[in-house]
Amino acid sequence: MSVSILSDAERKRIEGKRRRGKAFVAVTAVPVVLALLLVATLFFDVITDTVSWQIVEPSQTTASWSFSEGFAWGNTWENVVTKELEARGEDPAAVLNNPEERRRFKLRNRVELLWSLNGQPLRYVVSNSRDDTVDNIGVFEGFNNQEALLANLRDGQELRLNPWLDFAFLSKNASRSPLMAGIGFAFIGSLWVIGLVILFSLPIGVGAAIYLEEYAPDNRFTRFIELNIRNLAGVPSIVYGILGLYAFVRLFNFEVTVISAALTLSLLILPVVIIASREAIKAVPPSLREASYGLGASKWQTVSRVVLPNAVAGITTGMILAVARAIGETAPLLVVGAAGFIPRAPSGPLSEYTVMPIQIYAWVGENDPEFANVASAGIVVLLTVLLVLFGAAFYLRRRFERSW
Amino acid sequence: MQPTPKQAAEAIGINKSISRNVGDQLIRLVLFLAASVSVVTTIAVVYSLSAETISFFLDPAVSLWEFLTDRRWTPLFGESQRYFGISPLIIGTLNVTFVALVVGIPLGLGSAIYLSEFATARTRRTIMPLLEILAGIPTVVLGYFALFFVTPILRDIIPGLNLFNPISAGLVMGFMILPTISSISVDSMQAVPRAIREAAYGLGASRVEVVLKVVVPAALSGIVASFILAMSRAIGETMIVALAAGAKPTFTFDLRETIATMTSFIVQAAKGDQPAGSIGSRALYAVGSTLFLLTLMLNIASNQIVRRYAERYE
Repeated sequence: MSVSILSDAERKRIEGKRRRGKAFVAVTAVPVVLALLLVATLFFDVITDTVSWQIVEPSQTTASWSFSEGFAWGNTWENVVTKELEARGEDPAAVLNNPEERRRFKLRNRVELLWSLNGQPLRYVVSNSRDDTVDNIGVFEGFNNQEALLANLRDGQELRLNPWLDFAFLSKNASRSPLMAGIGFAFIGSLWVIGLVILFSLPIGVGAAIYLEEYAPDNRFTRFIELNIRNLAGVPSIVYGILGLYAFVRLFNFEVTVISAALTLSLLILPVVIIASREAIKAVPPSLREASYGLGASKWQTVSRVVLPNAVAGITTGMILAVARAIGETAPLLVVGAAGFIPRAPSGPLSEYTVMPIQIYAWVGENDPEFANVASAGIVVLLTVLLVLFGAAFYLRRRFERSW
Repeated sequence: MQPTPKQAAEAIGINKSISRNVGDQLIRLVLFLAASVSVVTTIAVVYSLSAETISFFLDPAVSLWEFLTDRRWTPLFGESQRYFGISPLIIGTLNVTFVALVVGIPLGLGSAIYLSEFATARTRRTIMPLLEILAGIPTVVLGYFALFFVTPILRDIIPGLNLFNPISAGLVMGFMILPTISSISVDSMQAVPRAIREAAYGLGASRVEVVLKVVVPAALSGIVASFILAMSRAIGETMIVALAAGAKPTFTFDLRETIATMTSFIVQAAKGDQPAGSIGSRALYAVGSTLFLLTLMLNIASNQIVRRYAERYE
């Protein structure tokens, strides 16, 4: 046994101190765990909300097709409709190829992936778009009370498990009926707006970053620009909406169009793009520039052929993160007048628009509780897009991270 | 006399081409214009806010005194019931911000201490991107989560809690500002040099003592700056509040009541499609100006604290 120079009391004191130290470490780890738990809960809640039980009274006899029969990437809808029309004894080609007939069919029928508990398992159902929903029940509540629910079904009623997020959801458009609502137009609108945002903010943002890093003299005006960018980065996003409302919607008279939304969001993400691009340019070592000058290259030749190629990964990463922010931004677009319902898909910079977050906000505000399920389906689409972008940024950062 | 590099270059015939020089000057000008966009943006923000705000106060129905002292805010109502006291919106904003900071500051600081001082490099590399995801979740999604998940749970626990309330919104907002506090605080704690920690260990300090009595005080300027920045973000946050806290301007400190914040009023007024030049539309700009000034002051304060009080280590 080793002889300790410490008395028992001292050893006890040190032991206690060590225990308290361990407890302190554990306490500081709690917030991290809580934050991760919140993210996990949020994803879990949103995903489970995309499924609900419904008691419906189908108002006409409906046909249905098993999952494998209807399943085909890309043309599920046509596939199922063809089968349905064949079964009804109509000519599928006549309906599908005639735009007017096609529209009428779409208005009167919906094609959805459903699971009827007192009917068949998961399958595609073609049914009347005016089916009366008697009740909409949360997914867990439905599981717990399944027997009671089934026992209480009246004649002609059906208990269905409705996954709101299916292929049809991506192509359906805004509607007053939750069953017919989808994210189609909003998705196209987001693509238009974000495309223009990239077009505006990438050249201006990178240009400003090049100027500040490579050209700007160290004078008062340069410092003023830098201070400006820092302050703009902290301005609440809704204030950019007010600017957009005043300048783009009213003064320039662009009204509520894709372009006024894109200009507003471009100004919003510009500080982020500039700051990220400057970091990337700063990371290119001066020795490369000096080597270029030594070979007789001009300033612009050095910037365009030496600095930018070496900074492109960093700039792209920053741009992706800025775009991810613009895709999820809601408040400024609400102020510049974006609406949840538009009659047709946006087709250019001057057309009416809606975007995914605005559409989600509009659904959350609906009275009909089923719209909460529709909103959650929209959120899953939005979050999927964002996760892909974050993944790309993360990959780029890891892949091109290098030390000189 | 030694020739300058430029003279030397000219002497051996480099850089003689005038067209190249003109091209370079043109590029310089274009890049300068790109950098000036941010200045133009600032001017445009200030101009658009102030022009309409001045018109708002010039309206005979409004007085600055009423704006500052009245406890009713109903600019979108009919003419006889209009009141223009901004205090309910300020109080509402403070209610939500208070809850957000009560949640966000301990969590943010705790996680920063863990990530900077106790976590292994590998854990840190795994957790930081996950926190970035939390920071990247669109606020409309957080609002949905607050309204449909957090509020029902809170209503089971807290009696008399309204469907729209600042507790639920503030709670979720606390998690929203956590990554802001955490990442800035981690940066400033990582900037504390190793030598100082080792000196403390050498004097017999325990890990807890080193963190609480050496590292945190040394990084305090960055930590406080992160709190202020987080507060500014909480004040300017819109969608969580608009969805979960409601839009009913109420002068109350009862956190269970439905309230309106400055941002949720702006959304409400904008959605109502107030015609340009109407008093409702101008009220939107007046509230926007107040919000802008408040957040700008906080952002400047945060920058100043970092600049003035940051410890410099050689």
